[in-house]
Amino acid sequence: MTEHYLLGVILFAPFVGAAVLATPWVSNRHPLLVRQLAAFFAGISFCASFYLLFAFDWQKGGYQFQQKYVWSEQLGIQFYIGVDGIGVPMVLASSILLFAGVFISWHIKDRTKEFYAFLLILAGATIGVYMSLDLFFLYFFYEMSVIPMYPLLGVWGSHTKGYLETTNADEWERPDAPRFILNFARNSKEYAAMKLTLFLSAGAVVALLGILLIYKASGLNTFEIPVLAEKAHFEGTLATIIWLLCFFGFASIAPLWPLHSWSPVGHAAAPAATSMLHAGVLMKLGHFSIIRTCFQILPDTTRDLMPIAAVLCIFSILYGGYVAYYARDTKYVIGYSSSSHMGYVFLGMAALDYISLSGAILYMFAHALATGMLFAMAGWVYDQTHTRDIPSLGGLVAKMPFVAGCFLVACMASIGMPGTVNFVAEVMIVLGSWAKYPVQTVIAVLGIVLTMAYLFRMMRGVFYGQLSELGHHAHDAEAFVDRVPLLIMIFSSITFGLLPGRMLDVIRSGVNPILARIMEVAPVVTQTGSGLLP
Amino acid sequence: MTFDLNLTLSDLLLMLPELWVTVWICVVLCVDFLMPRMSQRAIAGLSVAGMGVALGFLLWYYIEGTNGVLFKGMFVLDRLALFFKILVVGVSLLVLLSSIDYVSRFSFFKSEYYFLVMMAALGMMFMSSANDLLSVFITVEFSTFGFYVLVAYLRDDLRSSEAGLKFFILGVFAAALLAYGTSLVYGETGTFIFPTIAQGMAHMTPGLVVGWLMIFAALGFKIGTVPLHSWIPDTYQGAPTPITAFLSIAPKGAAFAILLRMFFSTLAAFKPQWVWLMIGVAMLSMLYGNIVAIAQRNIKRLLAYSGIAQIGNILIGMAAGTRMGADAVLFYLLTYLFANLGAFAVVIAFSQTTNSDEIEDYSGLNRRSPFLAFAMLVFLLSLAGVPPLAGFIGKLYLFVAAIKEGLYTLIVVGLISIVISLYYYLVVVKKMYISEPADPTPIKVSGVLQSVIYVGLAGTLILGIYPRPFIEYTVAATTIFSHLGAVPVVTTLP
Repeated sequence: MTEHYLLGVILFAPFVGAAVLATPWVSNRHPLLVRQLAAFFAGISFCASFYLLFAFDWQKGGYQFQQKYVWSEQLGIQFYIGVDGIGVPMVLASSILLFAGVFISWHIKDRTKEFYAFLLILAGATIGVYMSLDLFFLYFFYEMSVIPMYPLLGVWGSHTKGYLETTNADEWERPDAPRFILNFARNSKEYAAMKLTLFLSAGAVVALLGILLIYKASGLNTFEIPVLAEKAHFEGTLATIIWLLCFFGFASIAPLWPLHSWSPVGHAAAPAATSMLHAGVLMKLGHFSIIRTCFQILPDTTRDLMPIAAVLCIFSILYGGYVAYYARDTKYVIGYSSSSHMGYVFLGMAALDYISLSGAILYMFAHALATGMLFAMAGWVYDQTHTRDIPSLGGLVAKMPFVAGCFLVACMASIGMPGTVNFVAEVMIVLGSWAKYPVQTVIAVLGIVLTMAYLFRMMRGVFYGQLSELGHHAHDAEAFVDRVPLLIMIFSSITFGLLPGRMLDVIRSGVNPILARIMEVAPVVTQTGSGLLP
Repeated sequence: MTFDLNLTLSDLLLMLPELWVTVWICVVLCVDFLMPRMSQRAIAGLSVAGMGVALGFLLWYYIEGTNGVLFKGMFVLDRLALFFKILVVGVSLLVLLSSIDYVSRFSFFKSEYYFLVMMAALGMMFMSSANDLLSVFITVEFSTFGFYVLVAYLRDDLRSSEAGLKFFILGVFAAALLAYGTSLVYGETGTFIFPTIAQGMAHMTPGLVVGWLMIFAALGFKIGTVPLHSWIPDTYQGAPTPITAFLSIAPKGAAFAILLRMFFSTLAAFKPQWVWLMIGVAMLSMLYGNIVAIAQRNIKRLLAYSGIAQIGNILIGMAAGTRMGADAVLFYLLTYLFANLGAFAVVIAFSQTTNSDEIEDYSGLNRRSPFLAFAMLVFLLSLAGVPPLAGFIGKLYLFVAAIKEGLYTLIVVGLISIVISLYYYLVVVKKMYISEPADPTPIKVSGVLQSVIYVGLAGTLILGIYPRPFIEYTVAATTIFSHLGAVPVVTTLP
């Protein structure tokens, strides 16, 4: 019974929460009630997805907890949700970040109700993508998760420093003009919101064309992923076109190197909780959808074309790291660092190796926690000092020891310190892709050094040195609600870092059949329990 | 050609909803003359009640599955006609409701307004049943006649007069085209009735091509596709807003009833020729409407241009030329109805308080009236085609119908136009949510308008989240196109 409805509960709790908040009976005059309601519904997802991790039977593998309803016979669409080994960790990461994000945003005073409604829709839609086993609903939730970003960034976001200096007050009169989107007011939150939404929507429609081509060319009149993976065959130019459409369409949210430019701008403008969800789980929608479409439905083409990703991911890693080192804005540093780290996931995927692909999935989970923590703390510092400019900050460790400590842990996690789950994931990616792409792997390891450089530089600039003027009135995170989200994320990161066994077993049960199809060999049967080798 | 009118009373029952509306129109007019003290609200209530009864009749016919042909095939009552009649009557009900507050702006003839709205609705009900070139001409002119007056109803407003004049001149021009095209087709085939015309056309002669093109142009004027759209922005802006809402859906829907009958039945054999026409017109409408909408500063003009683009989207389904294409056209009209009517209801509610339609004045609407801002957000995003709202399913339906026919270029243009349209809709969202209001006084929304907006919200959300019964409803309406290829059913049901 619980097995049957488990995914439905995880998926719909945020939406029900958003609907409850949208009703006229919940008013902005009682912000505490709004927060408690949001925390309650996010909490349902949070608890249920932890249960999911332990209820998932990794020895059986395959898609579990399936729910399937016919949605439209004419179009061949079914509401079909279920998770496999790669879905479980991502669902877990999404609900952890949602739950933490609700507490991180506890101090938002302006239009609290609308903020939490959009946040819940964003997170719910993200969870929906990780559960969808129907291409239609994959796209449905994907596009649905992009749109709430616009009001979240635009209303509750913040301008980047330098915004006022570069903005001419006279020109500001007509910010709706098309040139606004091209070159005007680059640092404003409106610009960031519009750029992000349009960029991601453009990527989404490219992917939609790919999905429609899959639908048409398979001739099966269905969007169901397992059926398409099993029965549909694509060959020649058509397969290449579909693969490229799906890959680059979804890679725009990932973000792969030439398509990344929306991402740091968006991260910087977003409020803390949105940045967390955005960098933590929204970007992984790209990798996940690529696995669902390219890897599962077009395995042969994936084998031929995945080297593209292996080349581009290097640019992601180095370019992101390079810019992060020179960025002045804390959120830009973390944003570019996220783009850079997403390159590792692409490397792990491109190698098409059991260990590296498992590592890539684990890295998505790990990075969600690490970057979530970093953004949460950057948001805290911004709320206290009203700046994100690293040179104007300093010495905050005296004022906020707890946050500084957590920040250090988050940096360590992001670098991949042993003991955090990032370490396990990085090692797996590096080990797995060494055989196939030694050059890229060496560069990727250099990227870790780069990560260390820019994160420590930021750490020193913000928390150590002389206490800046802006920091005199800063407070530490002392209240229970302020500490809870940080502790949850740190706890998860370290727990799964020390005991990655169960998570890895779950992931491997998802990765093995997918890779087996790509490599055209029988799936590896896992007899033993935990361990790195399949 | 001889007519014999040997009708039994039971035959006339097929026209019962139309006859009822005719009688009721006279009742409303007489009540207004005979009881001059009766308030316009009471007249409005009377009109709404009459249309409600008509809707009841139509639903009863729909459940009973009534169908038949009258007057030697000039008037046909089938599922398709019923679908469009329900659509037209439903829209006019909502328009009547949203007019109640607005009518106080007129200086004269407040009660005749309702009469004219119902008369236009009656004309469009006949349009949905027209199965003959003559009845097409008569019904199209009949319905447009009411609109000529309604568009210019704000007598003291120059824009309204301009709108009326522009609409009238171009409308008469379209009528001339329709008449000339009809005469050419009649000259070539010797008949007016759609099914017999099909038998009379062995191949396309130049006369037929010109004739059909003229008829298409006249109907293209009604739906507002690109080469024939020039009346739309000015007329929409100048007309009283409830009439703009009415114009933006009902005549377009009724014209699609005729277009579907014309192209999918009568001209079905010539699909390879006309598909290019549809593709061209659809692409032009989508690109032109969306690109020009970016530059608009007035919400009614913005919705006018977005309407042109939406019609381009619907023409994707026409270009597909299959039964699924017809289903998609019908379904998209439903989604467009709720979103567009809802958006116009918000515009009416907003202008009741602020007396402005400028997008600039929508600044901070979220602070002034969270309900209106949220409703507008939902309607605009539905028009843009964002899940989980109705517009997304509508667009996907059209794309699926088109991709089955291999119309890749059209789909690419459609997808590009989604992204373009998202920009200008989001600019309005930005005004409402992000900008701060110049005047923070709250906006009060009257109960009637609120209920219209709730209907729009409910429709937009339900069609988006659970469209299955509505898709089945549209599929049932297109059984007459089953010769165009059966609807394939999912092969992998659980």
